[in-house]
Amino acid sequence: MSLDEPVLRFHSVAKHYSQPSGGVLKALDDVSFEIAAGKKLAITGRSGSGKSTLLHLAAGIDIPSAGAVSFVGRDLGALTDRQRTLIRRDDIGLVFQFFYLLPHLTVWENVALPGWIASDRTFEERGRKLLDRVGLSAFATQPASTLSGGEMQRVAICRALLRKPRLLLADEPTGNLDDDNSEVVMDLLMQLVDDEQGALLYVTHSEEQAAQADERLSLHSGRLERT
Amino acid sequence: MIRYFFRALRAQLRGGVLLFALSLFGVSIGVASVVSIQIINLNALGAFRGSMLAVSGSADLILLGKMPTLPETLYPEVLATPGVAAAWPLYRVDVTLRDADPIVLEVIGVDFFTAIDVPWEGEAVDVSAALGQSGWVAVTATLARERGWSVGERLSVSIGTRTAELVVGALSDFEKATPLASPRLAVMDIAQAQSLLGSRGQVDQIDVKLVDGVDEAAVVAALDRKLGTKAMILTPEQREEQAADLLSAFRLNLTALSLISLFVGGFLVFSSTQAALVRRRTEFGLLRSLGATHRQVFGLLVGDVALLGLAGVAVGMPLGYLGARANIDRVSATLSNLYLLEEIHQLVVPPWFFVLGAAVGLAGAGLGALAPALELGRKDTRSLLAAFSLHARVGEKAPRWFAAGVLCVLAIVGVYAVAGDRWRPAGFVQAFLLICAIPLLTPWLVQLATSRLPVRSFGLAYGVKGLGRQLQTTPVAVAALAIAVSMVVGVTTMVSSFRDTLDIWIERTIQADIYVSTPSRRRAASHATIGADVIERLKRHPAVTHVDRLRQFFAYTNGRRFSLAGVDASVPVDRARFALLEGEVEELPRDSVLVGEPLARKEGLHVGDDLVVDGPDGPVSFPIAGIYYDYSSELGSAFLHLDTMTERFGGGTVASVALYLAPDSDADDVVDELRVAFQATPLSMRSNRGLRERAMQVFDQTFAITRLLRYMSLLIAVCGVALTLIVLARERTSELALYRALGASRLQIFRIYLGKGLGIGAAGIALGSVAGVAFALILIYVVNRAFFGWTIAMHWPLGLLVWQSAIVLLASSVASVYPAIIASRTPATELRREDL
Amino acid sequence: MTRVALVLSLALAAGEWRVAVPEYPWSFPQDHWAHDGYRTEWWYLTGHLQAESDRTRRFGYQFTLFRIGVLNEPVELDSDWASTSVIMGHAAVTDLASGEHVFAETFYRETPLLASFSDYPESRIGWSRGPAGTEGLWSLDWNGNGFDVAAVDTRQGMSFRLETNADKPLVFQGPGGFSRKGTDSSAASQYYSFTRLATTGEVELDGERFSVRGESWMDKEFSSSHLGENQVGWDWFSLQLDDGRDVMLYLMRTADGSVDYASGTLIDGQGVAEYLTMGDFVVDVLETWTSPSTDARYPSRWRVRLPSAGLDFELRGLAADQENRSRLPGRVYYWEGAVEVSGGVTGRGFVELAGYGDGNRPPV
Repeated sequence: MSLDEPVLRFHSVAKHYSQPSGGVLKALDDVSFEIAAGKKLAITGRSGSGKSTLLHLAAGIDIPSAGAVSFVGRDLGALTDRQRTLIRRDDIGLVFQFFYLLPHLTVWENVALPGWIASDRTFEERGRKLLDRVGLSAFATQPASTLSGGEMQRVAICRALLRKPRLLLADEPTGNLDDDNSEVVMDLLMQLVDDEQGALLYVTHSEEQAAQADERLSLHSGRLERT
Repeated sequence: MIRYFFRALRAQLRGGVLLFALSLFGVSIGVASVVSIQIINLNALGAFRGSMLAVSGSADLILLGKMPTLPETLYPEVLATPGVAAAWPLYRVDVTLRDADPIVLEVIGVDFFTAIDVPWEGEAVDVSAALGQSGWVAVTATLARERGWSVGERLSVSIGTRTAELVVGALSDFEKATPLASPRLAVMDIAQAQSLLGSRGQVDQIDVKLVDGVDEAAVVAALDRKLGTKAMILTPEQREEQAADLLSAFRLNLTALSLISLFVGGFLVFSSTQAALVRRRTEFGLLRSLGATHRQVFGLLVGDVALLGLAGVAVGMPLGYLGARANIDRVSATLSNLYLLEEIHQLVVPPWFFVLGAAVGLAGAGLGALAPALELGRKDTRSLLAAFSLHARVGEKAPRWFAAGVLCVLAIVGVYAVAGDRWRPAGFVQAFLLICAIPLLTPWLVQLATSRLPVRSFGLAYGVKGLGRQLQTTPVAVAALAIAVSMVVGVTTMVSSFRDTLDIWIERTIQADIYVSTPSRRRAASHATIGADVIERLKRHPAVTHVDRLRQFFAYTNGRRFSLAGVDASVPVDRARFALLEGEVEELPRDSVLVGEPLARKEGLHVGDDLVVDGPDGPVSFPIAGIYYDYSSELGSAFLHLDTMTERFGGGTVASVALYLAPDSDADDVVDELRVAFQATPLSMRSNRGLRERAMQVFDQTFAITRLLRYMSLLIAVCGVALTLIVLARERTSELALYRALGASRLQIFRIYLGKGLGIGAAGIALGSVAGVAFALILIYVVNRAFFGWTIAMHWPLGLLVWQSAIVLLASSVASVYPAIIASRTPATELRREDL
Repeated sequence: MTRVALVLSLALAAGEWRVAVPEYPWSFPQDHWAHDGYRTEWWYLTGHLQAESDRTRRFGYQFTLFRIGVLNEPVELDSDWASTSVIMGHAAVTDLASGEHVFAETFYRETPLLASFSDYPESRIGWSRGPAGTEGLWSLDWNGNGFDVAAVDTRQGMSFRLETNADKPLVFQGPGGFSRKGTDSSAASQYYSFTRLATTGEVELDGERFSVRGESWMDKEFSSSHLGENQVGWDWFSLQLDDGRDVMLYLMRTADGSVDYASGTLIDGQGVAEYLTMGDFVVDVLETWTSPSTDARYPSRWRVRLPSAGLDFELRGLAADQENRSRLPGRVYYWEGAVEVSGGVTGRGFVELAGYGDGNRPPV
């Protein structure tokens, strides 16, 4: 693992699903790209274009049918589920369109969850700082279910960043937010990535948001097009 | 819509076979418990009724001797009473077959020339043989087949210390007419029965048939004037009621225990229906948006529940029948040991029983599903059924429910303050309130306990804490388990306290060194005489210093049947002979009587009152000198001096004797010597220790079935734990996928679910133990006093309870293994729902 | 049906029963009492009575005690129920004006509690409890010159208590009191009668009491086999003719209705008997009556011819339904009724028709 190794690298990645009818669905086909540390990559595309599959492969939640996905030089496809899980736990942050906060946990507990999962005792200070950063310290002990959508996504971003991930994956992070909130959340995301020196891969519909990236890729029926 | 129902059903079954199987199991076991107990209850009386009908089937009135037999000279008087169309005397004596397998033959001496109808098997019976051939007896064809007897078989029997040779002269078939009749019924001529097995001049019963349309009350009044206190006049229905009364406490307790199983089973249905609703909320929402009416959607759910109920019945009924069959011996032993009733020889299930079973199953399933189904009636079904909104609503209501639970608890105390142990149903009302209080108290307590739990990592504790955050599901499992545990704790404590109390009481009461009675004593009671010559010979044994004789029969006070015993009390004892609850008596007084606690409680008697007993020539009354602890029979008992008994009730037969030995002799050795010396005489001898062991054995036998029922509820409750966790694993797929996405390992998720299982187990045990204490108090201080009339000294079997708790905890964690595996296998890709 | 099975099985109970013999050593009055060791024994009183207050109120009556032997020797049992025989009592009163016929019965095992026979010289010969629901006894006593009888059935409002005194001496039925019932000598009984007994006493019918006076006939028979092998029943006639003579006729029937054996006795005014055999008399049935209750078809009018005695007369039942129908299990029934004699001679009598009806056989 060298320093100049890209954080994430897709090399001729294909993902096929066999269908009940007997045919094969090519969700991704011959996709190659890489992101270096500190860089932001935006992916656009219509729904069904393979964005979710791409993110799942990037997070090691799934493995490719062909080609290789490397995370800091390690071929995710060659690792065990447990090894991939550990990489996800320690080095990857995930932000979802629907926030996925646990409604029965408090704001603070939601942020702290990755720390608990990793049995990491050192996250508390950082968690508080992050919450402070997104301006939600005051809500720390409230149930997450009481927050607004924008607030929820800010909390979700804190959760994703808690363990200083090298790679932050965001799946239409503002897809469920109004314009004002979208702007706030997007700015926050960019700012935090800059501060943390991590790499960011995000999927978006918005040209405006895509334009904020260092590089943009567009997905059409599982194939990548550079813009 | 019906087509949709079946389409959806298939999909549902595919989706949750295990879930369905578990709820099915819950309902089935619940139904099985109720059904098996009801079958046993029915047949417990059925055997008695069958044998009664077999002999007295055509009788309108049954006249039973009270002393305990009737002078036979009353028979012609009964016969001559206007309104009587026919009457026949019965001489009943239960003799013991002297055989390697010593069964009891229920011999009925009849006059074949009366209207009594004996259903013969095969050809006409030669009545001259019945009268003239010594020992002629007709046994049932069933028994003959069972024992390999045929006509001409010689049977050696004993009654008391007498022995007699009987000869099978014919076969009868009582079961043809009355299927439940005991196969042990044996019929012989009344002259032979009196002469060979009993004594002349007495009969046990006179059956009366009335002229059609005659005023029964007038005939009863006329008979009453003739018979006075010598006989009890009952209709067959009253006779059966009498037996039913005798068994009422026994049967009620079994029924209550079995209903708890059903109750716990209902909880399973509750949680599985709720789970189904949660799972299908999108589907239901879609159906509604496609124009399905609320009623149609409700119908889908009702269909599911009905199917579950029916399947539960289909499985539960046969299971219940098998359960009843498996337990018939235990109950049978209790019936014959404690209640001196017929043993159950076969099980009969009348057709209406299937209706009862179906009703119980459907009602159980329906009640369990009621609350969740009502949720459907709300607006915006979809979001309201979302797990989190359910949780939130439960959370909101938890304090109010808790308050209601507290009210239930206060009501229990209130009922005790008002009714104490005087009002019989009080105990059951209290138990019911307690069972209601448990689920009401649970959600808030679970919330309280889990909210205080510090979580520092993603492991066991995180799982347990999560329970407090899924109030829509977990309290149900906790409550079900708590109810089952409370029952186990309560009944275990009661039984164990009772056992200890009994042990101490026996130790104190059984003072003689050897007790001698006869094998037929228990069943034949006052017919089973120990001959005077036998007593003389016993006295002559060098080690024997004193012999106390005991004569016992069932007497009546205020229409209540109780055991009246007369003893010599000739032996100077170093300890008080009776453990007295009231009064101070060193020796058995000559002119007064000692009354046992059950009789005293039931009749409201105290020292200084008079016990009025029906005597041969009218009521005889005795001042009560003391009230002793008595656990020998719930019927009640009283003691007086044998001389006093003879004086007031006339002479009678001694059915058992107690031997006191010289200080240096060993009771067991003497028993062995006596057994050799009395080889030819049918005597049963027990040393002090042997008798105690036997008493405890009978005790354990009696409570064997309650142990089974206790564990049945527990089994259902543990299944509830598994069910709840499976539901959680299924419903919380997104949450689990999120954990996986956030990097939680499978092992971590497995541990969380194990934690949940342990959490439910621990909560159930904690809550159940507290409730169990209350249960034990109710059983001991209310139910036992009200129904049996005896005081049990409270004793906590801590070791046993801890042991049982450990088993419950272990069972809960075992039950959570499978759900934990399912949960741990959730892939992160499942994260696709809109909410968590 | 227990009883039927039991009672009929008596025939099966083989044992050493005493049998009727031609040279029976009679000893009176002792032989009026019961004879253990025989299967059956009966005391049969029948008669015509009229109310003293109203001579148009006429009655026929029957009183019978049967002793049915169950065991031919006693068993040693310590019980009051130990018993070797059963006592059956049949009593009937017919109101000859209205035709009403009331039949009462008792059936008990012989025990001091219910019914028993006494030994000579006690005046009581036998007694039994009344039927169920009736206070009071049925009894038969020897008063030195006749028999006193009493029967009561409270439920039916019927009772009578009668005293009889012999107007004519005891007469043997058959030489030496040996009465054959068939060609086979084993079917026979010891049999004697009092053909004329002056009778007084009280009769109660439907609750109404009458002081009565009249004349009775008494039969006493004991044996161990009454019917021959092929015989199903009998017709028995006891007739008191106004000329002072008495006639007894005994016809044994087989299943096809024919008479295979008959005997009789003609007693003159002084009580001297002349024994009749089958060829000495002819009985023709002129009319029959079918019982609506049992469907049994009984003869109801006869022509009787006894040429050697110059007798040719008609007999007619004084009431159609004088059928005795037992209400006890076993449902025994037979016709036993008052008849009148007319034609060449006048008189009255009683007829017993046993074994009529489908499959019906006399129990004793």
